[in-house]
Amino acid sequence: MLSELLQGTDTGGLLIIQDSSSCTGRHLLKSFINAALNREENIHVLGFEVSEEELGEGLNTSSPQRLCFHNAYSDPLGWTDHLTFTVHQFCLDELTHLVKQTSQSKPATLVIDSLSWILRHLSPPAVCKTLQQLKRGGAVRTIIGLLHADMHQKGTVGSVCHLATSVINVAPGMKGDEAVAKITKRSKSGKVMQCEEIFSIKDDLTVIVQSKPSHLEHKQTDPEEQQMDPTANLTFNLRLSDTERKAKEKLALPFVFSKAKKTALLHSGQGSGRILYEPDANDDYDQEDPDDDLDV
Amino acid sequence: MAAPMDSVGKPSADRSAFNSTSFQKKTRSKLISIPGTRPSVQNGQLLVSTGVTSLDYLIGGGLAVGTVLLIEEDRYDSYSRMIFKYFLAEGVVCRHELFVAAAQDNPDDILQELPAPILDDVAIHKPVDQPRLSCEPQDSLDAMKIAWRYQNLPKVQSALASTSRFGHYYDVSKTMEPEIRQAAKCHRFYLPEHPTQSSTTHSPMIESYSALLKSLQEVIHREGFDIAASMPKSRNILRVGLHSLGSALWGDDLSCHDNPRHSHALTTFLYGLRALLRSSLAVAVVTVPSHLIQDRALMGSITRLCDNAIALESFKGSERETNPLYKDYHGLLHVHQVPHLNCLASQLPDHKDLAFKLKRKQFTIERLHLPPDLSETVSRVSRGELAGATTVASACGSGTSGTKHLDF
Repeated sequence: MLSELLQGTDTGGLLIIQDSSSCTGRHLLKSFINAALNREENIHVLGFEVSEEELGEGLNTSSPQRLCFHNAYSDPLGWTDHLTFTVHQFCLDELTHLVKQTSQSKPATLVIDSLSWILRHLSPPAVCKTLQQLKRGGAVRTIIGLLHADMHQKGTVGSVCHLATSVINVAPGMKGDEAVAKITKRSKSGKVMQCEEIFSIKDDLTVIVQSKPSHLEHKQTDPEEQQMDPTANLTFNLRLSDTERKAKEKLALPFVFSKAKKTALLHSGQGSGRILYEPDANDDYDQEDPDDDLDV
Repeated sequence: MAAPMDSVGKPSADRSAFNSTSFQKKTRSKLISIPGTRPSVQNGQLLVSTGVTSLDYLIGGGLAVGTVLLIEEDRYDSYSRMIFKYFLAEGVVCRHELFVAAAQDNPDDILQELPAPILDDVAIHKPVDQPRLSCEPQDSLDAMKIAWRYQNLPKVQSALASTSRFGHYYDVSKTMEPEIRQAAKCHRFYLPEHPTQSSTTHSPMIESYSALLKSLQEVIHREGFDIAASMPKSRNILRVGLHSLGSALWGDDLSCHDNPRHSHALTTFLYGLRALLRSSLAVAVVTVPSHLIQDRALMGSITRLCDNAIALESFKGSERETNPLYKDYHGLLHVHQVPHLNCLASQLPDHKDLAFKLKRKQFTIERLHLPPDLSETVSRVSRGELAGATTVASACGSGTSGTKHLDF
């Protein structure tokens, strides 16, 4: 699923790359930028965390006018009077104006590096509102944002990811250059797809997706081992031959009653008990009253 | 025997031949009969169907008019949204009026996705498995040879159903036809379209909730849903659907921060909403993304402020998805609150373990019961998985996978 997301066929969505201090997501973000550049799309990058030179390292620079970097790294809060992008300009009108200024032909992709920086200075409801408005408006084709999950409270991360159409959670993998991506994608019909993949990024920012992580395979072998047949490899015989089976079925069970007695026992709902006596072979059950011939 | 009194003008059909008094039972004054409602068999309240018949059964026959149903959303808001749409679709079919408010999606989009009703079939669900009757002893006696005493005990009934059908069934794969939908009157409140005015009064409610409450109050008053209103025309019910209250898009930081600044905004709003509904012929369904709200005490007070409260927990994405116990279901349903309306004790559902499954023609809620375990080692392991005890080291040491063959 990571490759499909990299191809960027869905429009009007918000993709969030969640990372943490143990594994950075910026390389994956750069891969997304590179893939979009290769598709000849216009990209606007709001750079709060790294400078333009550092972000531009390794990117496909064949057509530099497609990548528009808005420098919010040197002066994000607008303390000096230089004309840089400040965090307070993160609202719908300013961003639409900014995007329309430079690319008129087709809607651009907006890359935000990073959303965490904006969330530290603006209130989360305002940021969510702006993201939702950007998603719905036509000025921007897709929004890709980087979010450092360990920098915020759980509720903030949850609220922002609740708005997203796709969330990629990056975690460190088993080997050095590998990372595990847990992807959750919401389609327009409301269906949610989830998947976990191991990937690694080469120097030219192409992503190689490997198979699913191996710890899932361990769980599958365990229940198979338990289902060994316990009746195999025994020194005594547990099976029945046909005659033995017939004799077994003919055997009279100790508490088998006649049908009348069974129905009586099953359906006696009147409350009081009734004594049902069936005379055994040894009983001498004489219906006559022995006191009848007493002449008293 | 009292002396007969000739009461002129009284209908004589009420008096039988032996009844010589003129006592007549006072009939219920002004029993409002509105299409799509019925009186409750327990306390006489007027009930409205939620659109999901199993949910109606769980909350005591239906939603009482003038109450609020709180639905705590599941993680990706798929099933709670489905119940929200069922509620609105039921309103369209019963010809009630609708009021839909949302901050994330346009209410028009929600209304276009309503499921199509199945109008021709009367009873869709299979008849409930009856316990074996005593009129068929022959078959029952042949069935069990050794355990024949257990034959007449009823089988475990997992499906929840009541005897009388109330509410309709919907086909999820089709959307409602535009003609049916446009026949119903809908009032919309889409938050981005309402300009926020900063209020001068320092109320604990934030502007978006105040605007919503004002808009609802205005609709109720204008369309004549007040109980006190003396409109001669036939009465109708207003179904209010409020989607995802408490999420960040309403301007509330309840779901963003652990200690929210507007901690009393949503609770004040719910208090005002319930007061408004008690004096009008309206029902409300509110969905809240409770998985984002970290303050459990606040979630508890939100639950207490609504009359009915259920929570949906879907298996998607959690480790329970692969648990074989839950393979037939899509998620668990928890009933957190049932209403006390003019009574001391309320009708609690007798089974607390409930699971739901969204099928094409029905949203079923069933009792989750463990099937008999016939293998020796599975029972201990699955109980441990259910309780989530894999990380807890218990005294018996059965937490780790290596020792699961120890069976005492």
